[in-house]
Amino acid sequence: MIVCVAVVGPQNNPLYLQSFTEADDALKLHHIVHCSLDVIEEKVNNPKKSGSTLSETFLGLLYPTENYKVYGYLTNTKVKLILVTTDLDVRDVDVRNFFRKFHAAYVDAVSNPFHVPGKKISSKTFSSRIGGIVKSFGPGSPP
Amino acid sequence: MVEVSLSAFAFLFSELVQYNQTQVDNIAELERRLEDAGYAVGARVLELFCHREKGNRRETRLLGILSFVHTTVWKVLFGKVADSLEKGTEHEDEYMISEKELLVNRFISIPKDMGTFNCGAFVAGIVRGVLDNAGFPSVVTAHFVPMEGQQRPRTTILIKFADEVSHMMALLNIY
Repeated sequence: MIVCVAVVGPQNNPLYLQSFTEADDALKLHHIVHCSLDVIEEKVNNPKKSGSTLSETFLGLLYPTENYKVYGYLTNTKVKLILVTTDLDVRDVDVRNFFRKFHAAYVDAVSNPFHVPGKKISSKTFSSRIGGIVKSFGPGSPP
Repeated sequence: MVEVSLSAFAFLFSELVQYNQTQVDNIAELERRLEDAGYAVGARVLELFCHREKGNRRETRLLGILSFVHTTVWKVLFGKVADSLEKGTEHEDEYMISEKELLVNRFISIPKDMGTFNCGAFVAGIVRGVLDNAGFPSVVTAHFVPMEGQQRPRTTILIKFADEVSHMMALLNIY
């Protein structure tokens, strides 16, 4: 089950943060997202060490905490999309699909000529689309 | 792929230039405003095209991002690839994209007293928006280059990368 999604800008400024569960403390989720930014920086700046290709957008599992898993995705403009989930057996292809749809929704939100890059994304359409994508996340979701 | 009417765009662009003309006193300011308008477009263009056209690849190399601008961006915006992409001879970090007739300039004529003003500053702004947001800060300008045997001069977009780009490329050992 997806607990939280976040969009963080190129200077690590938060552009969008949404949690989908009442059970957990929203602040704790924000803290987890914040910590995962460090892992992303490390992966991006040390390509030889981590071994992954420099130009891949999907960064994969960033780090597992006690009951959460954090996945990262980097777009071409250094905008980071972060996903926190509580599922224990998440398939890689599901996460990639999720990020693809997430990226499409993000691109549409940014194409708005009235959106100022660097400010928070305040579009209601974007929020409802993200809600829809999160609901349809799960094994067997269509590509 | 959505097609937009050329005359509608030319009308909109001419209105954009005229509106900015009433707001400024000199040519340099007008050029800067057109560039800023293009920068906003370029930022969105980069995000949209990378997602739509190129799947999941990020551009981290200088030549990669330049050829992306030269082919993909030009093709989707203007319907054809740019005429040529050259590396500057004098400086290491200068590149030029040339076009015989920029689409935005097709229905624009520059009066003699405006001197070297080029509405291609809008396109220069688009290129700067793409490069800046991809992590390659640069200064981009548009120039007229007269060609023998042709009535209208060729337009050249000159891209000069900032110092940090050269440092970054030297650090990563790729070019």
